[in-house]
Amino acid sequence: MKETGSQPEMHRVLDVSKSSITRQKKETLIGIFWLGTALFATVAIILILGFLVREALPAILEIGIWDFIFHDIWNPASITPQYGILTLIAGTLLVTLGAMAIAIPFGIGTAIFIAEVAPPQFREVVKPAIELLAGIPSIVYGFFGLIVLTTWLRTSFDLPSGATWLAGSILLGIMALPTIVSVSEDAISSVPDEFRSASLALGATRWQTITGVTLPAALSGITAAIILGLGRAIGETMAVMMVTGNAAVVPDPLWNILSPVRTLTATLGIEMGEVSIGSTHYHALFGVALVLLIIALIINLSASFILRNIREGQIGANGEPLLSNATKTRLKQVMLVVAPGVIFWIAYQISGITGMAAPAILLGLIFAVKQFFSRQIQEKMAFAGVTLATAGVLFTLAIIIFDIVSNGLPAITWEFLTESPRNLGRDGGIFPAIVGTVWLVAGAIAIALPIGVGAALYLNEYTIEGRITRIIRAGNDLLNGTPSIVFGLFGFAFLVLFVGLGVSLIAGQITLALMILPTIVRTSEEALKSVPDTLRHGSLALGATRWHTISRIVLPAALPGILTGTILGIGRAAGETAPLLFTAVVFMKRDLPTSLSDPVMALPYHLYVLSTNVPDAEIQQYGTALVLLALVTAIYAVAILIRRHARKTIRW
Amino acid sequence: MVVMTHSVRTRSVRSLLTGMAMLLVAAALFSGCVGDKDVADTRIISVSGSTTNLPIAQAVAELYMDIHQTDEILVSGGGSGVGIRAVGEGTADIGMSSRDIRQTEIEQYPDLVEHVIAYDGIGVIVNPENPVSSLTLDQIKAIYKGEITNWREIDGNDRQIVVVGRDSASGTREFFYEEVMNKEEFVRTQQELNSNGAIRRTIQQTPDAIGYVGLGYVDDTVRGINIWIDDRSVAPTVSNVADGTYPIARSLYMYTRGEASGLVKDYLDFLLSDDGQAIVAREGFVPIR
Repeated sequence: MKETGSQPEMHRVLDVSKSSITRQKKETLIGIFWLGTALFATVAIILILGFLVREALPAILEIGIWDFIFHDIWNPASITPQYGILTLIAGTLLVTLGAMAIAIPFGIGTAIFIAEVAPPQFREVVKPAIELLAGIPSIVYGFFGLIVLTTWLRTSFDLPSGATWLAGSILLGIMALPTIVSVSEDAISSVPDEFRSASLALGATRWQTITGVTLPAALSGITAAIILGLGRAIGETMAVMMVTGNAAVVPDPLWNILSPVRTLTATLGIEMGEVSIGSTHYHALFGVALVLLIIALIINLSASFILRNIREGQIGANGEPLLSNATKTRLKQVMLVVAPGVIFWIAYQISGITGMAAPAILLGLIFAVKQFFSRQIQEKMAFAGVTLATAGVLFTLAIIIFDIVSNGLPAITWEFLTESPRNLGRDGGIFPAIVGTVWLVAGAIAIALPIGVGAALYLNEYTIEGRITRIIRAGNDLLNGTPSIVFGLFGFAFLVLFVGLGVSLIAGQITLALMILPTIVRTSEEALKSVPDTLRHGSLALGATRWHTISRIVLPAALPGILTGTILGIGRAAGETAPLLFTAVVFMKRDLPTSLSDPVMALPYHLYVLSTNVPDAEIQQYGTALVLLALVTAIYAVAILIRRHARKTIRW
Repeated sequence: MVVMTHSVRTRSVRSLLTGMAMLLVAAALFSGCVGDKDVADTRIISVSGSTTNLPIAQAVAELYMDIHQTDEILVSGGGSGVGIRAVGEGTADIGMSSRDIRQTEIEQYPDLVEHVIAYDGIGVIVNPENPVSSLTLDQIKAIYKGEITNWREIDGNDRQIVVVGRDSASGTREFFYEEVMNKEEFVRTQQELNSNGAIRRTIQQTPDAIGYVGLGYVDDTVRGINIWIDDRSVAPTVSNVADGTYPIARSLYMYTRGEASGLVKDYLDFLLSDDGQAIVAREGFVPIR
């Protein structure tokens, strides 16, 4: 385990010279420094929470907390305004639930396929391709959802409108996929080969090895992946508000996935800009943000609680596991009866007796496969399943990319790439927006990477699990679950007004950095965790200090994983609109920024304004989306090359 | 067991540094193109707020900057509330609003001065495939109240009406609520979107939908519904708003802190001049004279 404290003491025994004491002081200072970075996320989330409470309080006092949460009519614009957010809470939970029901099976199936089934060359191509999905800006997903997805739903289900709960869930599911695939694949492929060899040597099939050995060993990483994906889904604003219809009603009946819904984030996204500052409506919107954060808190904290139990169960460490084995078995039996019952009931409610046929056939098939086919054939079927999942994910990726490229290519000219926009962006180019986005992303990474890696180092190398790490992790989880639009509001109120940075490049960089920090912390921590302790022991045994061991041995070995986190961060930072709205961007600026206090243009914001407020700029919209995608791809490519290089040269 | 030579880890660290350096160099190259402008002579103002006013503000700013090379006008959106707050707090020099300033805002920022810069007609739009071309104000109100739910009831196809409107913080919706709905409530299943562009796109995509947008957004990808007034069907056009026959129109505002001066005054004067108002008309809004 971690060599907390013991190593410097040994030094003192061996060598009582001054240099060893300064060395020890230096070590302590480094440790304290990393503790500072680790607490950064927690401080940020406390600031955000405090600010939300302060702004929400007047509305909650006026409306009453019970009426605010449990009243089901949201109608602030009426002469008799009503501020009940029950329907919005329901909308958020339902859309997120649906998204996870799509993203988890497809994501983990694809991760299994890439890590365990596909040939390594395939992995080299497909993993970066899927990570690229994360770089597609949410507003482009929104477009795609509105034009392709809702139209498809409307015609195939013969609905009056395709803007539904289902559309929102599918879109958010797709958006959460890259995170889930990328992080779970890392977790699965970092399971030591000895585990697989042992299982195979005992006569298990490859599929049995995967489900019985590899997946359980990678469970903490996979859970982390799901939490990250969940954070992405629950916090998404721009895409979801374009496809769910935003009617503030609870689906009737509750499982009617073809009903329009409205989420908390969409309410913030569509109402925050226009609301009059200081009105009850304004404060009520902060209340909405607060409730959103609290829901994120509950989900994230329960997820980390589950995660901790999984870890403890795995290593059989101190304390009883959450459930005893007997309870587990009983729970499984109950689930076997209850789950099909629930599925049948939902199917019956949606489409009557005939609707029950589909789940019946499916369950029958699963039972038949388990019962009548050999392990080898079961394995083939399972592999076919994960292959299909991967194909589905890649097909979706291909459709979205094709849509952007085929529509965007006509706009791409030399002039478009190198000139400033004219005539509201219908003529001229987008050069200042390209530069602005590069600066915003570079700045956000420059801030978030050292802090994030520092926090991960502290969590993994400098401390043992305890109250402080729990606080740090909770802060990080909460920050991860904080919707991008809330970062934007916080950035405006805190950085722009309170600190006095004004609408500026630096305010946008800091806001974006806060947003991507949790992703970097979590993936870096997973990466550090996957570095075998034998490496640390070897280095320490040779007399290296802890910092020496970390900087020369552990960090280089963890580099591929850290880069994965950075890549995801870049993708997210480059495509976000909401956090920049009030902090860093202007619609048009002919000159490039000359200092950090200048406001800038940014590609996603340019795209947002073109698509929502400039008529007749369709070609330029797609052109901007294509450039954004290409830019992110280029940044990705550099990072992916470095990662591949590092992977090839490091073996243990 | 542990095969990791010194050269290997140095290389991987080096490649990380190289990668970061490449990013920085790329960024520096981009910014290298920045010309050294004489800062002393440059006057800069920022304009922020309603996305409805944004096209006017930006197009006028572009023309103004073409004539006055040393002046710079930065335009950004955010919404009417953001605009009024920004000018009130001093983070912007001009705040744009597509709704009247509210009592709470007047109390908070008492020194704001109002300028009407244009009028905006609100067009009711449907999908081009929809056979319905004219409605009375009462019929539109009944649709938005949820009393008429099928196009058949108003001589259309036997299809359910998809009601699409703006979000509850929108100035456009507030105006629609007061002038068309007479402050009666919208049907709860109304879909809500936050921009003219999003509404038009949804109407293009959805054969049975009805929505309302600023006149600049009424083009041939959607059908602008004529309004029946006194047995006359009035089309949603700039000329009909200008002569007062089209009934659904409102003012667009810009707010300044105190009376305008310096570049703020020059810009507003230009906006209200014939050249500025010509741009207002070109962007699909109605000039103030």
